[in-house]
Amino acid sequence: MRSLKRHDASDIFIHWFNAACWLLLLLSGLGLIKNERLNPLGAWLPDALRALFGGGSAGGAVLLVLHEVVGVLWVLGFLAYLAVNARGAKYFLKEIFSVRPGDLSWLVRKMGRMTVGPLLGGRGELPPQGYYNMGQKAFAQASVAGGLAIVLSGAVLLLSAKLLPAAATPLIGWAVTLHYLAVGLVFAGLLVHIYMAAISPEEKPGFRSMFTGSVPEDYARHHHGLWVEALGKDDPGSK
Amino acid sequence: MSTQKLAMVIDSAKCIDCKGCMAACKQANGVSRGVWRNWIKEAMPPLENGPAGSKKLGHGHFQPGACMHCDEPSCIQACPTGATYKSAADGTVVIDPKLCIGCGNCIKACPYGARFRDPVKRIADKCNYCPERRAAGLAPACVDTCPTKARVFGDINDPGSDAAKLLAANQGKVVRVIAKGPGKNWDTKPNMYYLASTAPDGWAVQPVDPLSFDFLTAVVAPAVKWAVGLSGLGVLAMLGRQLLAGAGGAHGPGGSADGADKDAKEDHHA
Repeated sequence: MRSLKRHDASDIFIHWFNAACWLLLLLSGLGLIKNERLNPLGAWLPDALRALFGGGSAGGAVLLVLHEVVGVLWVLGFLAYLAVNARGAKYFLKEIFSVRPGDLSWLVRKMGRMTVGPLLGGRGELPPQGYYNMGQKAFAQASVAGGLAIVLSGAVLLLSAKLLPAAATPLIGWAVTLHYLAVGLVFAGLLVHIYMAAISPEEKPGFRSMFTGSVPEDYARHHHGLWVEALGKDDPGSK
Repeated sequence: MSTQKLAMVIDSAKCIDCKGCMAACKQANGVSRGVWRNWIKEAMPPLENGPAGSKKLGHGHFQPGACMHCDEPSCIQACPTGATYKSAADGTVVIDPKLCIGCGNCIKACPYGARFRDPVKRIADKCNYCPERRAAGLAPACVDTCPTKARVFGDINDPGSDAAKLLAANQGKVVRVIAKGPGKNWDTKPNMYYLASTAPDGWAVQPVDPLSFDFLTAVVAPAVKWAVGLSGLGVLAMLGRQLLAGAGGAHGPGGSADGADKDAKEDHHA
């Protein structure tokens, strides 16, 4: 069976690097929020995470350093990816932000089918999808926009106690708010992303391609028909 | 071991506005230029002799103060990271400088203006009852230096302490400065007690949150909970369908060789 190349080694690296950073940053970040009106799951969570590093505010201070170090590494990782594979990054951005007619209908019907069934999602063929389907595009858009918001607000928080004058205090407050919002919304999408990729049987070949770099041609035809069509017109195998 | 409750009992009538406490605090704690951890407020009329010929003496009244290490501190409710907290050991309101990110929420949340953003450390700062001096068995610098002994410091949970004895001797005559609004009190249960009476009063202000924090707690945090909740529900619904449908889906391992078959395509995602 013919297989089509889907990801470069650098694509695969940045995906899993991003995933590892997200896991560490999310956990350490949850340990940094400790406020009765804010605790997403109650005070036990920051208390438990702080206990791993000595407990109390001193444990929180360790988490803060960890969060800052991983956050900076996360940004450096993306800069390295851009340096190595700017072409891939450009292709990715072009693809995720080009929404075609029919994509919205694909998304709504697909969500209906997968959660409730044909009653909500209807029967019949869904509009053909490109290199990414509309669900992947929506999550990628949220990740890019959210990621930028997280990095920018995170930079303000990182520099707050090192560089920013008292006059910048309101900026820091808003950076906290934006950081929380962006992480929360991307995390909501992340739940679906992890389910679709790793748990649902539908995208198994796509999941495997995040290790091997390629997908079987018939899977690609089913799931990303427009991509395969375009490949046929250009030089097959390249993206 | 019973826990301590460190407090200050102040006879403000004894204060002569010498500013010794303010200078000693600055010196002992290396407080940055332009900011102060403690203060002396002045009541009208100012301290001066009465007008010539008048039998009435003019009299002033001075009120030393600092962070009141409240029992229900509004500053702690405003801190997003728990960098400021109530010490379980001695009841003081502590700032952990390593966890404070300088967001400034606590500054406006204090009804007493006791907190400020340190221009050098760039984080919140305030009176901490001189922990280094206490560890060495000394009273806080402001208390030690006070020439009239207007400030009395101690553990009011220990009936033998000077502060507790003074409080007991003045039972029923002790007042606290509390923020008052129209028909409303913002009593943060301050642990700074003034004997008999004190002035000025009414200078404490309503604790307020910055708009960014109000927006975060009232709008953003619930919105994120809803988004994550809905997304989680969606995943559960998909997982439920997946498990109910069993492994019979067309996309089981190796089950996708039927690419051109339109019927299979239709039923793929059903």
